[in-house]
Amino acid sequence: MIDWISIPLVGLPLVSSLVLLAFVASADGAARERLGSSIRMVSLVISLAMLGLTTMMFFAQNNSSMYEALGLDKALDWTGLGFGSFNFEFRYVWIEALGIHWSVGIDALSFPMVWLTTFLLPVTIIATWNEKHASTYFPLILMMGGALIGVFVALDLFMFYVFWELTLIPMFFLILKWGGKDRKYASQKFFIYTFTASVVMLLGLVTLYFLQPDQALSYSGSWTGRTFDIPTLTAHAQQGNAGGAWFLGESMQKILFVMLMLGFLVKLPSVPFHTWLPDAHVQAPTGGSMLLAGVMLKMGAYGMFRLPLAFFPHAAEHFQFWLLALGMISLVWGAIVCLGQTNLKKMVAYSSVSHMGVILIGIATMQPLGWAAALFMMFAHGIISPMLFAVCGAFKHHYHSMEIGAMRGMAKHSPWLATSMMFAWMASLGLPLLAGFVAELMMFLALWHFLAANDWSVLWMVGPALVLALTAAYYLWSMQRTIFEGGEETQPPASLNGQPVPDIADSEKFAMIILAVFTILFGVMPWIALDMMNGWTVAFFETLLIPILGGA
Amino acid sequence: MASSTGSSVIIDSTAAQYAPLIILLPMLAFPVILLFGKLYNGEKFWKQTLKEGGLIALPVMGASLLLALWLISDFIGAYGGVQKLSDWTWFTSSIWESGVATKEVSFGFGIHVDHITVLLLFVASFLCLLINTFAVGYMNTDPINDNRNHRFYAEFVLFCSGMLGMVLADSFLWLFIFWELMGLCSYLLIGFYYERPSAAYAAKKAFLTTRVGDVFLMVGLAMMWYLFGSLDYDVVFDKYEIKSVAESNAAMLAWSLGLMFIGAVGKSAQFPLHVWLPDAMEGPTPVSALIHAATMVNAGLYLVARMFPFFGAEALHGELADLAFIIAAIGGTTAVMAAAIAFVQNDLKKVLAYSTMSQLAYIFTGLGAALYLANTLHWHEYLADGTTKNPDYYVNHAIVIVAFGAALFHLFNHAMAKGMLFMASGAVIHEVHHAHHHLHHHDHDDGHHDTPKELVMLADYLEANGQTAFEFFASIDLDGSGEIDTYEFQTALKKADVVDLPPWEMAPLMKALDLDGNGSINVPELDLTLGRIRNEIEEGHHDEFDAQSMDNMGGLASKMPLTATAMLVGSLSIMGFPLIGGFWSKEGIIANTWRVALEDPRFMYPALCVLLGAGMTGFYMSRMWLKTFAGSPKGEVAAHVGPTNTWIKTPLFILTFFSLAGILFASMGFTHWAPDIEYGLMSDHGGLWGGFLYEMEHVFANEKAFFFILTYVALFIGAVVGPGLALSLYGGALDEGEEAKPWFTPVLALNAAVKGRYHWDNSPFAQSGFATALSNRLYIDHYYDMAMLKIVAAFSFKSAEADSKVIDGTIKTIERTSQQLSTKLRALTTGSARDYILMAAVGTLTLFALIWGVMA
Repeated sequence: MIDWISIPLVGLPLVSSLVLLAFVASADGAARERLGSSIRMVSLVISLAMLGLTTMMFFAQNNSSMYEALGLDKALDWTGLGFGSFNFEFRYVWIEALGIHWSVGIDALSFPMVWLTTFLLPVTIIATWNEKHASTYFPLILMMGGALIGVFVALDLFMFYVFWELTLIPMFFLILKWGGKDRKYASQKFFIYTFTASVVMLLGLVTLYFLQPDQALSYSGSWTGRTFDIPTLTAHAQQGNAGGAWFLGESMQKILFVMLMLGFLVKLPSVPFHTWLPDAHVQAPTGGSMLLAGVMLKMGAYGMFRLPLAFFPHAAEHFQFWLLALGMISLVWGAIVCLGQTNLKKMVAYSSVSHMGVILIGIATMQPLGWAAALFMMFAHGIISPMLFAVCGAFKHHYHSMEIGAMRGMAKHSPWLATSMMFAWMASLGLPLLAGFVAELMMFLALWHFLAANDWSVLWMVGPALVLALTAAYYLWSMQRTIFEGGEETQPPASLNGQPVPDIADSEKFAMIILAVFTILFGVMPWIALDMMNGWTVAFFETLLIPILGGA
Repeated sequence: MASSTGSSVIIDSTAAQYAPLIILLPMLAFPVILLFGKLYNGEKFWKQTLKEGGLIALPVMGASLLLALWLISDFIGAYGGVQKLSDWTWFTSSIWESGVATKEVSFGFGIHVDHITVLLLFVASFLCLLINTFAVGYMNTDPINDNRNHRFYAEFVLFCSGMLGMVLADSFLWLFIFWELMGLCSYLLIGFYYERPSAAYAAKKAFLTTRVGDVFLMVGLAMMWYLFGSLDYDVVFDKYEIKSVAESNAAMLAWSLGLMFIGAVGKSAQFPLHVWLPDAMEGPTPVSALIHAATMVNAGLYLVARMFPFFGAEALHGELADLAFIIAAIGGTTAVMAAAIAFVQNDLKKVLAYSTMSQLAYIFTGLGAALYLANTLHWHEYLADGTTKNPDYYVNHAIVIVAFGAALFHLFNHAMAKGMLFMASGAVIHEVHHAHHHLHHHDHDDGHHDTPKELVMLADYLEANGQTAFEFFASIDLDGSGEIDTYEFQTALKKADVVDLPPWEMAPLMKALDLDGNGSINVPELDLTLGRIRNEIEEGHHDEFDAQSMDNMGGLASKMPLTATAMLVGSLSIMGFPLIGGFWSKEGIIANTWRVALEDPRFMYPALCVLLGAGMTGFYMSRMWLKTFAGSPKGEVAAHVGPTNTWIKTPLFILTFFSLAGILFASMGFTHWAPDIEYGLMSDHGGLWGGFLYEMEHVFANEKAFFFILTYVALFIGAVVGPGLALSLYGGALDEGEEAKPWFTPVLALNAAVKGRYHWDNSPFAQSGFATALSNRLYIDHYYDMAMLKIVAAFSFKSAEADSKVIDGTIKTIERTSQQLSTKLRALTTGSARDYILMAAVGTLTLFALIWGVMA
């Protein structure tokens, strides 16, 4: 097996982006602009190669020519890949003294996220084909992708944290250089806010590192006797939690759980730690928003599954009420605030907050069904929300305004944009047979099952029910004031200075079509992704949670 | 009679293997039509040969109908059974309840066929095809639809696919999925004329109002899924499953069904979620026909009818009686309310919209009564213990299936009649519109020009203030150039408090005034235009012509004979005129509601409502027909209406037969088209003739005195009092020289006689406060809008403010405070991101070293 496949997966975009940037830096101003189109093409080719690679990795599970092409000697298994097993596992000692490894592997939790990242890179590049300063923009998009994949494939806490923070850098520059009017404030707020939370998380991780039982296993550092290896730590935690005992002690487990969750909750984001998101989104360029909403937010949810939920199931059970409450508040508050927005992109940004609430609720149900709902929501939202932001970007680009109602009768002037908008909006409000519906349905069923089976108040159900109506209300209301109305007498906004109203560019159309096709694909055939998610959650519950929580 | 109560008998049917195609064909036609429309829009062969997609949709709907008929024919004549095609797994997940392992739960899709499916499948596929035919004649000759009909046909086939999918699906989950698909399509089609603000508003209102119901439906489904661990019909309808749920958690099941019923209330436009239906008339007329007859509103009825096995289960005996009452009471309320509002409507389609609402309410009442009977009578062959023979089996069984059958039969009759009525009204509107167009091209050589209402307001303003155009002009020509531009004009309008428009909405005003097209206005232009407008106001010409208003019709019976006939038959069917379509089912509903009222006094309310409603129906339907087709033409337009085209006539002709043939269907046994019996047509009472005799005897010569009297009371109210009042008030003989078909003669003669003899002045009623309230739809829409605006929207705006002021404000305060604290460190902050990152890295490493030092 070519175990080292994750090295090019992470390294190719990172290294190529650095090379491209260095190349650009050496050129003078005029040459830089000329370089733009070729750098864009190189970036697209690299991202497509990565998409090809991950797609082959998916099909290598039942297609012999695919796994032979990948140099594998047998078919991969994704859907049957249990918790704790990884494909393409690879370790290389990095800092031997501290037990830090270049340690990577892909399981059914991370694979959908890795594929999603490689899928969104070319789509983002195509959707923002005409972005200015192309020679530096496209390498930054690539760097973003490399850092994100790094987070998802890392099996070493140190490596995880490095990539986690690395994602901030390209995004920071994307907002700072290509952003809107308040880009400076937004980029710094984005950076400092999430960085502060990450430091708390880091503190938790480091504490965990030093508190772990000194077992001098193969991945331990020669100097500290401790390891950063996530599978090893999970195994330690599993032993420590067995038989109703609390790994690291009850109070320490609770403290560490809160510290780790804090970093992830800010990234997700959950109310009340969400206010960096609308600022960042409104100021960020379209490509930045697409990746930010599409993948970067999911790092938070991914981190929860990978670390605190696996290490501290007792604490998770203890804080179940708070998880549910936070999820519910995010869900409802996000939707209410959406209805009150007059800025299209801000509305979409808050809708992300609302949808991330679904993930938290799914986790809080402590049911495989709810967890699979969360995982599928991560994936589905990762396809739908880039489309939402692509629509917002096109709107801004063509009408020079983000205000809802600045442009009406889009169906007449810009049928492509109007169609894309309606499709994306409908997908986001959970229309059946589009990707988002399955996740919402599963969350709904899991939540009711949890409430009824555990005699929790049925009033919790009011939240999601209300949000179903509110979501429809804000999306439909905004469509009424953009796509509809108008007619012959509708004039373009004054900011267009009397130019004719254009429809979206061909590259944007193409990106919209791709996103729409995949939204339909995963809505009609959710099993493509859900089977592996289901397999993973069941294994997680049966090997880790049920022996620990079931006996208590 | 049936032997296998509740359990599934698999019928071997090849047709069932092809049943998914009934759904898939129209669903796949959706992208095809859309794509071709995009590619060939405006080209001659696309417009003329393919009718902008209409002739792609037509064969597809035809194929769906043929497949559906094949499927239906396999089930008629077979014993009561259920076909469940081996279902495809959609996705699986797991649940952890207890123990060491998780339990797999899977969600699949399959085809389920039983008597309700068969009925709805026929109604939906048959009417979709006819409406499609009608649409080719209607949409493609309307100039307003220029080059956008491909969108209509694409959304149309998707809509049909949603309905067909809903009736064929084998689980409540897929019922819901197709249900939502219909919601999307209704949204798109109601908003078809997207540039009209009223259409945009109506589309949003329809989607949101039904969405409110859907929310409850979804909660109800979550409850049911929890109880049964599945939403598949063959699990939830299994009598042993129902029994075990009834023993453990009957209350939650009742709640679940109640919440699902709210979903049906929204979809079928019942009080209090009825507000969307009249506004949905904003869509083109074929859409109205589709929503009102073939698809959308029937979905709610279908859902309630689907709940029958729960109500009929011996294990839940008496548990669901309250819910059955609620269903009937909502129905009764809506029946009367909608009929009352229909009294004062002058818009032809609005009358029909309220009529739909009222008739659906009848079906709900009928279903409520039937479900009540099923739930409170012991009607199974064996009693609850499963071994004791039920002594009342034959009597009770007949009562239940006749009650249920009446409600379903009314659904059938109403769909046929209402589909026809909408298409006929569409034909009338279409021709009136054409006549108007035709006339106005003679009146004005420049066609009909729309005067912006703001200019009318300006003219009124100048008139009121006694200003001349010149004085006004002088006051607004700020730069004294003798020409005013958009900005000056806008400012002036705002200052004069006439209207405050944003700059981009000024264009139509400027266009109307700027006669020489130089981009600005001078005195002669303003004077001329305002003078013209004032003349128009005096002559009353500036009024928008409303082709849907019955005030512009009258006397059309001689001009559109087939349409008038169809409309007459349809109206009589809806009224429940003896022997025609709706009569058979309506009498059944009234009788069964009263039957329950004799048992349970609560049911007196819906029972009185449906009896009263019968008279009201008679009045408003007669009023509609008489105002449109009888009497003299009101206005010159109505005098110039011509007959309609073949595409439109064909479905009208077919449906006229279907409504007239009510007696045939009744004799065939449609009145007890209910579960738990064989799918035999014409077999229960000895063939067609036997069935006819049985039905006639059952209705007109009932052996029970109460029902005997009730029948004639209902007939008197519905077919004499209601229509009689309308005859005395509206219509009259046609003008001299107008020839009408012989079958109109008795109607028109009766009308003339009654009106001549008993005409009375109804203005005290028409001008009363109650009539005002009715024409304002009892202010319900108003209060809903106010609640949305004043409560929901206002709260959300406050929330958005709080989000940035309070939540983000707290963060900002923390940030500020920490900045102040670190004034001394300020020297280190360079404002460059690179330095921050460096500092962060150094800080992290220090932290790391510190902790390690402490812990190690």
